[in-house]
Amino acid sequence: MALDNLELLKAVEQFLYSEAEYMDSHQYDRWFELWDEQALYWVPCNADEADPNSNVALIYENRDKIEDRLFRLKGRHAHAQNPRSRLMRVVSNVRIAQADAGKVVVTSQFVLGEVRLDRQTVWIGRSQHTLLQTANGFKIREKKVLLLNNDSPMGNLTFLI
Amino acid sequence: MASGTSVNGTSIGNGASMNGHHGFSIERLQGLVQRGRVHSSIYTDPAIFELEMTQIFYRSWVYIGHASEVAAPGDFRLRTIGRQPVILVRGNDGVVRVLMNRCRHRGAVVCETESGREKVFRCWFHGWTYDNTGKLLSVTAPEGYGEDFSVEEHSLTPAPRVEMYRDFVFASLSPQGPALVDYLARATSMIDLLVDASPHRQIDVSAGCHKTVYNGNWKLVGMDGYHPNFVHASVIAMWQRKADSGMGATHRSDPFDGKAATYVRDLGNGHAMLDLRQHRLDHYPDYAKFLASTPGGKEYMEAMFARDDEERARTLLAIAGDPHVGVYPNMQLIHNQIRIINPISPTQTEVIMFPVLLKGVSPEINALRLRQHESFYGPASSGSPDDGEIFERVQRGMLAQVEPWIDISRGLSREFVDSDGSIVANVTDEVPQRAQMRQWLALMTGENSSSAAAA
Ligand code: FES
Ligand SMILES: [Fe+2]
Repeated sequence: MALDNLELLKAVEQFLYSEAEYMDSHQYDRWFELWDEQALYWVPCNADEADPNSNVALIYENRDKIEDRLFRLKGRHAHAQNPRSRLMRVVSNVRIAQADAGKVVVTSQFVLGEVRLDRQTVWIGRSQHTLLQTANGFKIREKKVLLLNNDSPMGNLTFLI
Repeated sequence: MASGTSVNGTSIGNGASMNGHHGFSIERLQGLVQRGRVHSSIYTDPAIFELEMTQIFYRSWVYIGHASEVAAPGDFRLRTIGRQPVILVRGNDGVVRVLMNRCRHRGAVVCETESGREKVFRCWFHGWTYDNTGKLLSVTAPEGYGEDFSVEEHSLTPAPRVEMYRDFVFASLSPQGPALVDYLARATSMIDLLVDASPHRQIDVSAGCHKTVYNGNWKLVGMDGYHPNFVHASVIAMWQRKADSGMGATHRSDPFDGKAATYVRDLGNGHAMLDLRQHRLDHYPDYAKFLASTPGGKEYMEAMFARDDEERARTLLAIAGDPHVGVYPNMQLIHNQIRIINPISPTQTEVIMFPVLLKGVSPEINALRLRQHESFYGPASSGSPDDGEIFERVQRGMLAQVEPWIDISRGLSREFVDSDGSIVANVTDEVPQRAQMRQWLALMTGENSSSAAAA
């Protein structure tokens, strides 16, 4: 890998770590600032490649709907997040899949520990971010999260992944 | 009471001697379900749960799936009846069957894939093979079996009764009982409200599902118009902010605000609904505007008015395939989904949610239906996780048993019998809870449950 690519990789990793921190600590506004105007937040259900036009997803949201989600979480009546999930995730295996002028596609994996009401749950998945390089740093154009258990019964997934 | 001894000499259920009746006499069960209140042990007691398996899930009609899920010969889906594994499968002869997923040799499941298309199910313990009608094709090394071994008599066991209503497949593990249409009774016209919302009168249940689980009893999934202002306060706030947000686009205005023309209805046999029809009709012009703004929306409305008379077309469009009905014990048609309730244990329940696509509408309308569903339902949504959270709080609260009663008396003083015999009251009243508990008691005690709501 050429040195400038290593620098790009470092920068992307730092971005992903910041995103992870905002998600872990429920800093909804700071997390929302990471998104591009034409955002797409996609968490498939049942199968990784299920076509969202004809298949249900866990999350398939544009910027407007992401904002709805955060509006709800910031209010006092999102009972499934009262108390909030305590979260800690490790993001690793970061790889640049594609780097064009101003646009980077990066894949990574995460292990996320969640503790809520004395129950500990482990969530595992792979993320693919499409990041735009802007004057204000990277912005997320598209984020697709492939949960390892996306075909299994799940409890409460109302925190940010 | 001594275990296994019934107070009044009446033992519960057929085959009681095999499974035991868990020490519950009819009198004791009747004592748990009283006027306007039920004893919380029915939500917590493992012995009650066992009796529910045998008396309710292994006797009554139970929803298995929709025929569109097994559209082609060989298509199959794994499902459960109570805790018993079954295969919903369309055979090469085109017939939809419900087969017990259990090898007739030594009991292994013969199908372990959740869905697919197969000509043959092979048990990999000793290699017996069955065709997709359940027929045993061959045993391996057949010379080991004597002349009295009959291949024909070792086919996969079918559920004793399987019937369909408008492609909704139900099974009963009891060889006797009412015909499906007689059991569904008034609920059939509510199923029609969903199916007839398709211009082709056909729905398509091929969009996958949300599988959710909560740590609480299966009976907590009710049909409750009292809770939305509290459990779903966050979502009602979203609708107030953006009228077209999620399911708000269909409701148009809060159906639970105390002013809306919304009701609860006990349809008999434990089936009950939140009757939102008049409310949706009151807001139809607004909804029609929303629908017209969706690609294919105008064509959809034209097709419906061309097919049906004005009143029916308007009702079907306004209801948007959402009869909001619960069919006892395990199916609900709510918003854009068919939902299956699977009891796992007294304190754990899976709710599987299948969004429904309408045949004959634009892909954009069906995609909209999926996005609306995701907004409120599923593990990462704004609605059903809050329901699950509250069900878990109920399950924890019920451990405090000094005062063990659950109050379901709301609306007892104002409910009335409608012209069709169904019981109606304000949308916040606990008519559905009482309807379900009446059917629960009838099935648990093995008394004839043909009682209409008004009976
Ligand atoms: S258990 Fe199936 S072949 Fe033996
Ligand atoms: Fe709810």
